[in-house]
Amino acid sequence: MIGSLDNGLEFYRQVLAVRGYRQEVLAADIANASTPGFKAVDVDFAQALAIATGGAGRPRALLVAEPGQMQAGNTSANAAAAGAVKYQIGTQVSLDGNSVDLDLEKTTAAANAVDYEAVATFTTQALKLLSIAINGSSALGGGG
Amino acid sequence: MSLLGIFNIAGSGMGAESQRLSAVASNIANANSAVGPGGEPYRAREVVFQAVAAGGGEAPSSVGMAGVKVAAIVESDAPLKQVYDPGSSFADANGYVKMPNVNNVDEMVNMLSAQQDYQADLEAFNVAKTLALRTLQI
Repeated sequence: MIGSLDNGLEFYRQVLAVRGYRQEVLAADIANASTPGFKAVDVDFAQALAIATGGAGRPRALLVAEPGQMQAGNTSANAAAAGAVKYQIGTQVSLDGNSVDLDLEKTTAAANAVDYEAVATFTTQALKLLSIAINGSSALGGGG
Repeated sequence: MSLLGIFNIAGSGMGAESQRLSAVASNIANANSAVGPGGEPYRAREVVFQAVAAGGGEAPSSVGMAGVKVAAIVESDAPLKQVYDPGSSFADANGYVKMPNVNNVDEMVNMLSAQQDYQADLEAFNVAKTLALRTLQI
């Protein structure tokens, strides 16, 4: 029964993990903005989320004899995001072979951070809804 | 936890950029040092950056996810400046003194670039901190 309670939160967990991974990749690009030969990368968010939540490339579920048996977990969101890391194309490559566009990285990272906060807010709301469902309307803070 | 990895990555970037800034400061300070430690004129130092795999990742991918480190500090092999100063005790037979090969324009550009990169690293660091704190509030 607990499983059905936190099923709804699983999606948010995956999105947060992929967004966090993408933020890390962008931070790595920024850190290597002056490293000769470094090529800028980014996470293909749609593909990473598809893999993490059971789209293309997801391992098949285990066959279990009893309903209560442990099921293998979902593909780790980090592994999914790592599988969707791609080189950025179209940025100018400098003489030393570096393709990091610092302005682009900064704006992309800022946008990704906003998205991350949005998902965090959604998660908070989902948890509040669960809390209301469990505790009744008193959880709203109004007159019960 | 990927957000915490950003602290390592941005931190490595800030460390490397500050070393680069140190090299620039050393070069500018010694732009007129006709005699270095070995008796030879000072030669401009340059730091060489190298991407290194960031440790602790759950699934390190072949691309991306790299911190940065200073792989080496090399001395510039640009020709030394020759300054005509027959009165100097370091002058050669023709009256020329060998002076450091520090190019002030290069150093200024390097300094601005290092400053910009350092700020970008700091920004990434702060954003990661904000996100991590926000996550705690879920």
